[in-house]
Amino acid sequence: MANNNGDSKFFSVAGQIAGPTAIAFLMLVIWHLCCVFFAIPEAILPTPVKILATIFKHWELLAIHTWPTTSECLMGFGLAVVVGMGLGILLAFFPMFHNSVYPLVVAFQVVPKVALAPLFIVWFGLGTLSRVLLAFVIAFFPMVVNTYAGILSTDPLMVRMAHAFSANRWTVFCKIEFPNALPYIFSGLKIGITFAVIGIIVAEFVTAQKGLGYLIVFAEGNIDTPLLMAALTVLSIVGVVLYAAVVALEKLVVTWDVGQDLH
Amino acid sequence: MTEASAHVRVENLRKTYQTRRDEIEAIREVQMEVAEGEFISILGPSGCGKSTLLMIVGGLLPLTSGTVAVGGESVSKPRRDTGVVFQAPVLMPWRTILKNVLFPIESLGLREEDYIDRAHELLEMTGLSGFADNVPSELSGGMQQRVAICRALIHNPNLLLMDEPFSALDAMTRDLMNQELLRIWEEYKKTVLFVTHSIREAVFLSDRVFVMSPRPAVISEIVTIDLPRPRELAIEETPEFNEYVAHLRGLIEH
Repeated sequence: MANNNGDSKFFSVAGQIAGPTAIAFLMLVIWHLCCVFFAIPEAILPTPVKILATIFKHWELLAIHTWPTTSECLMGFGLAVVVGMGLGILLAFFPMFHNSVYPLVVAFQVVPKVALAPLFIVWFGLGTLSRVLLAFVIAFFPMVVNTYAGILSTDPLMVRMAHAFSANRWTVFCKIEFPNALPYIFSGLKIGITFAVIGIIVAEFVTAQKGLGYLIVFAEGNIDTPLLMAALTVLSIVGVVLYAAVVALEKLVVTWDVGQDLH
Repeated sequence: MTEASAHVRVENLRKTYQTRRDEIEAIREVQMEVAEGEFISILGPSGCGKSTLLMIVGGLLPLTSGTVAVGGESVSKPRRDTGVVFQAPVLMPWRTILKNVLFPIESLGLREEDYIDRAHELLEMTGLSGFADNVPSELSGGMQQRVAICRALIHNPNLLLMDEPFSALDAMTRDLMNQELLRIWEEYKKTVLFVTHSIREAVFLSDRVFVMSPRPAVISEIVTIDLPRPRELAIEETPEFNEYVAHLRGLIEH
């Protein structure tokens, strides 16, 4: 029985991966054939094979620039998680705080954060700090909103149940509100990690010191489109790996049935 | 019943809600005296304030005037020796059945290890011994409500408050749950306050039925159910049982 179960699970996962993989492969083939058939110049659109070759040829260069992008992205994301969740919890705990601070948080969200990049350079220079802070301000908002919404979504009857058994405010938070908010928090983490990657890349465009974003701008300047596309490919892989890591963590933590709306 | 023996005493209880425009009187005047180990039903139409009364006795809602005392002590907040079962099971979906049953132990700051055996015993008592490590979503509504009853009993309270606990269940499950509840009650002999709008349920379970009028609520009548115990479902076919039902229906329809 257990074996059967494992098999069907394996096949369903394989089925989930097989479809998109087949379509992606087909598109790559069409891309490649178009490049060859229409004789598209390499500077406009290199073939997938050429991009792969470029990745292998320049792997050292790509690796050197992948590291700062990944680490700074994680720093900005980590900061957004800590500060964003903290603020979300404070908002839920103190109604006064909600009335005075939440409108400001929402107003701040309307500001296109990437437009802050030049300002951050003026304030914090061309270094890591500017880039991490840009990733932070972009990833911050979904963390606040999701943490807050997750706590507020707690069933009032469950809180009353806890009170009936003499639970204090802290117990209600730790044992009821926080676990209840976890699925929402993970939604925020998934949005946040993708936003953090965007923040770092934009910051790398502007600060032009290092990182895959910098490499993309550098390759563009040299009209080295194969290198540009190679950097873009590696960047996409970094983004997918970071996202997959958050999803894997979610699978470990949120093991219970959550309402359909969150999936 | 002598003054000293009353386990739950409600005197001149009045409860009003303040809305934006005016004051709504939920409970006008309620007097109750419940002896230790008694099974009491509070019967009334929907929205008559019977749940409000129960929540006030549980210390979960403030009262407007009057006094509520449990074990001789005035109630102002939830008591550690009271267990509550709500209309819905309100189980935590992220916890196993066993951990749900043990929740009051955590919130009361007691040692969990001391109560694990009791939790298993309660689960066995309610036919859930094989489900300790399952999660709530794997259980039916009736089974979930049984878990809620185990949770309400885990810290060995001497007063059990039940707020229409079986109203969401189908009729057959409800009959089973009523029987099971009586079995548990015979075993542990807690004082039970059971809110319901089902007349048959009230007669089947109770020693005495407090009939509440529609809002603003008063206790319009107290009916002593003098049927032999232990009771089985077959008792519902007896003329005595149906006389009580007819009498109570007459009171409620007035």
